Amino acid sequence: MGNYTLIATAAIIYDTFREAFARKIFWGLFGLSTAMILFFLFIMKIDIVEGALATISLFGKTADREVDLDRLVKQVQAGIATFLYTWGMFLAVFASAGLIPSVLEPGRIELLLSKPVSRVHLLLGRFLGNLLVVTLNIAYLVTGIWLILGVKTNIWTADFLVAIVTTVFLFAVLLAVVIFIGVTLESTALAVMIPVGLMLISPILAQHKLMVRLLDSEWSRQLWKGLYQALPKVYDIGKMTLDYVMDRQVESWTPVWTSAGFGVVVLAASIYVFQKRDF
Amino acid sequence: MPELAIESIGLRKRYRFWWSGREVLAVDGVSLQVERGTTYGLLGPNGAGKTTFVKMILSAVHPTEGEALLFGRNAAEAEARRRIGYLPENHRFPTYFTGRGMLDFYGALSGMDAVTRQRRIPELLELVGLADWGTVRLGKYSKGMLQRVGLAQALMHEPELLILDEPTDGVDPVGRRHIREVLHSLEEKGVTVFVNSHLLAEVEMFCREVAILHKGKVVLQGKVKELTAGKGYKLKVPAALSEKLREDLAARASSIVQRDGVLDLQFPGRTEVNEAIDLLRAERLEIEALTPTTSTLEDVFIQTVHG
Repeated sequence: MGNYTLIATAAIIYDTFREAFARKIFWGLFGLSTAMILFFLFIMKIDIVEGALATISLFGKTADREVDLDRLVKQVQAGIATFLYTWGMFLAVFASAGLIPSVLEPGRIELLLSKPVSRVHLLLGRFLGNLLVVTLNIAYLVTGIWLILGVKTNIWTADFLVAIVTTVFLFAVLLAVVIFIGVTLESTALAVMIPVGLMLISPILAQHKLMVRLLDSEWSRQLWKGLYQALPKVYDIGKMTLDYVMDRQVESWTPVWTSAGFGVVVLAASIYVFQKRDF
Repeated sequence: MPELAIESIGLRKRYRFWWSGREVLAVDGVSLQVERGTTYGLLGPNGAGKTTFVKMILSAVHPTEGEALLFGRNAAEAEARRRIGYLPENHRFPTYFTGRGMLDFYGALSGMDAVTRQRRIPELLELVGLADWGTVRLGKYSKGMLQRVGLAQALMHEPELLILDEPTDGVDPVGRRHIREVLHSLEEKGVTVFVNSHLLAEVEMFCREVAILHKGKVVLQGKVKELTAGKGYKLKVPAALSEKLREDLAARASSIVQRDGVLDLQFPGRTEVNEAIDLLRAERLEIEALTPTTSTLEDVFIQTVHG
């Protein structure tokens, strides 16, 4: 990668950050993450008694019985991972949806295209910038809570940190959809609705083993299976994250590869459309 | 042959609207050659295809046919655009940037390193008269100020070709003169300036060559001096003339205007004006003034576009 390319890439990423700051997207996500971290810092109190046994108090009320500390920490981490994976993902998609259509506004895109930067470079730079904004927030939240739980319980299990990787990974897949909608339809509303729709339909499609038995026609069974295979497996990857955090056996890594494939195909389609479009 | 900054070869753009099946031919086989170091104006009525042509030069619009070259390289190559600066019409600069931040961003996109950018930014803000506004967000700028900072943006990386789309749009007369002075200083440095504008007087004052685009085609092109020169003569004589002489002069003049006891007679050529002088001198009448007149670019434009 030449020097020019590096300078231009840094500029595109920096511009995405500036826009995220200006739209209060970054601060919105950062504020929510901080609120959650403060919640765990000040509200949840854990008193360790003889190592593995503890009492937990929330809002000043103490649990009636002693709990298994290791199990408690795992459950808290699993709860946060699930929360982050669902609501955090929704917020991240919502926050990112306007960042592509804004670049395509007349009067802005022509000037960008007049620079010695290829269209692929511009689009991937924007993708990367957007991904970094969300990654920083997720890493801040997960690491912050992990540190607080570690300090309070002295249990330092790194499994929880995998939530950063899986959440960012799935966000990247959904961001590819956001970008595709952005470059084809330039609609912020649809750029939110379609990825959220994919998130909502995923747990339903994931019941494919049950549905194959219940559906009576072959074509509908094939359609169900086809949709399950083709679309990103939000539910499956969420379950994998949970299993990993809870020290349970991860059944299969296939959902990761198929979702990654979906993301790559959609991103490639976005680049193709962006290359061919007139502005 | 001199080096060409811009060359378009049979550039054509046809827009197809798939939902209605309609087609619009925005640019119809335009071939232009803009020599390096010149100042070139692209003129045309609204909808003539000027902006589409400029966008094809910048590769923001893909030609249906033909080719656009910048300094001999295909304009579609990113590297071909490294030597150009561009100020779009109806630009929308991100308002979250300050003047400095905006120049820094677009300079970086042009591949400039941080040290060079930091050196150029104050120079350019000074050049466009915005030295005190560098740390103010663009959202607070007036339209004229945005136009000037936009020009600074186009000049950031010291381009060899400057493409300006309505550069004085929204700028007050003082600002316009200032922009013209900046452009003249660039011309002296050998920068090629390509202006797309409908302000004919501005183009006439600044450009050496023009092309007029109408209905997607080049209908006239040439040097401004040649297009506007040698168009006639104006004769000023006392208005107190005999009826017969007045009729004889009117038969040769293209227009007669009487004001304050003086007749302004416009003649289309040398023959007509000499015949008029002979008639006047035969009557021993005095001629108050004789001046050659050129047609304005506006005259040329109107005649070309509306026949």
